[in-house]
Amino acid sequence: MKRRNFIQKSTAATAFLTLGRLSLQSFASKNTKHITILHTNDVHSHIDPFPSTDSRYANQGGVARRATLVETIRKENPNTLLLDAGDIFQGTPYFNFYGGELEFKLMSMMKYDAATIGNHDFDNGIDGLFAQLPHAQFDFLSANYDFKNTVLHSHVKPYKIFVKDGIKIGVFGLGIELEGLVDPKMYKETLYLDPLEIAQDMSRILKEEEHCDLVICLSHLGYHYKNEKISDLELASKTKNIDLIIGGHTHTFLPKPTVTKNSVGENVLVNQVGCYGLNLGRIDFYFDNDKNLASKGKSIIV
Amino acid sequence: MKKFIIAFIILTALFSCKIKPPQLVRIEGKQTTINETIVADKTFENTIKPYREKVEKEMNTVISYTPINLYRNDGDLESSLGNLMADLCYERANPVFNSRTGKNIDFAMFNYGGIRAGISKGNITNESAFNLMPFENSLVVVELTSEKIKELVNYLIEENTAHPLSKQFNLTVTEKGCDLKIKNEAFDSSKTYFVLTSDYLQTGGDNMNFFKDPVTIHKLDYKVRNAIIDYFKETDTIKVSLDGRFRNEKTLKN
Repeated sequence: MKRRNFIQKSTAATAFLTLGRLSLQSFASKNTKHITILHTNDVHSHIDPFPSTDSRYANQGGVARRATLVETIRKENPNTLLLDAGDIFQGTPYFNFYGGELEFKLMSMMKYDAATIGNHDFDNGIDGLFAQLPHAQFDFLSANYDFKNTVLHSHVKPYKIFVKDGIKIGVFGLGIELEGLVDPKMYKETLYLDPLEIAQDMSRILKEEEHCDLVICLSHLGYHYKNEKISDLELASKTKNIDLIIGGHTHTFLPKPTVTKNSVGENVLVNQVGCYGLNLGRIDFYFDNDKNLASKGKSIIV
Repeated sequence: MKKFIIAFIILTALFSCKIKPPQLVRIEGKQTTINETIVADKTFENTIKPYREKVEKEMNTVISYTPINLYRNDGDLESSLGNLMADLCYERANPVFNSRTGKNIDFAMFNYGGIRAGISKGNITNESAFNLMPFENSLVVVELTSEKIKELVNYLIEENTAHPLSKQFNLTVTEKGCDLKIKNEAFDSSKTYFVLTSDYLQTGGDNMNFFKDPVTIHKLDYKVRNAIIDYFKETDTIKVSLDGRFRNEKTLKN
């Protein structure tokens, strides 16, 4: 056992020494890591592009086009995650006729890594959502919906950790309060837990226990409300250790991702890309092991 | 021993490398609009195709016929399409409500803005129904006090808009005030009334706040669109007229 351990380490060391002989510049670039996060929200069963006659979104959207774009970006950077912030269902006859089968199939083909659950994903009831799960080859993440007394029990995880190029990325999901928004007959015994408390818990687990390099919150809470209702901006200001909140629900079109401060004065990014698959959001994270570079702090270009 | 020393040196080197976790130095954010400049992926197109063809076939299925154009704005305070929608919802919903409660709905009311598209003269397809009602709103019956009915009437007069109302509701605004008849009987302020509407409006949509806190509420688990489709399917030719169910004699020219 020990010997095998030694061989493994020495191989790594050889690689390390070989690198050392290369020029300084290439060494530095080898030390840089690049993670790309792609995201959508509130696609609402919009499979086809809007027709050219549409008054607002003529010729925009379309899953098959999104697939081309995602593939191009993945070729540029294989260390890419593709996420969706919920409300995959409801909005076109594709949902009325097939109950979400095609939506999940296409997302699986596009290799979505994870999605959270929006209120409209309960539109055919929790059983309707459960029935479509075999078509989804990606994870559903929700930390504040307790499904233990429902069919979704054990089918939805609070969080998932992805490792890309050695970078640990922790992603957790948050859903909106269903009472008053969705008929209780639809969500049955799903329990809604306080998203703020859960987010504080999740970010601590992912950062301090799991030692994630990046913590992402996939939220269907909504970008911002005039009243006290919990939103992404509110959540960002009252938590720490979250790097990025990808939002949905309010169909908010942002001119650029919002940079705001968390509870300890650090920057948090909050982004949302409208709805109906009209846009693909993209956040690139660059990591460096070079102390001199790192000591300069992080720059945010949006 | 020699091997051990080498291993120790290498491990130390590795360890010193490992304690320095990668530092986040730069974040860039942008979004790309999906439009016709991006070529659709063939594999995806081929996957979608059979689903699309089935949806299109279903959507193009003829389910009824209208000899005239049906619009939401072809009358003053009523419309051909608004009258049709409110009447057909009443007709489809009342048997459901009656079988559950033994009572009858007094009238139906929806919102002008909820009529999302007109129906042109000729064949009516499933698509017509989807365009007319793209939302997943469901029918609900609320029991309203006479006070709430008065609020409803004031809302209609203030809005001065052709909100869909069923034929059981007759409101005439005159110089002296207004005259309200429900099911051919004068409005009775000692009664409560059962009003059919959608869950969207019941929860305060379009500021119809009089629907918000009813005496009782009965969810029919029947989508507005399904009521429309069911009515079209059982009706060979649509008959609809403007009958002055809501009119303002102060402003009416003819």
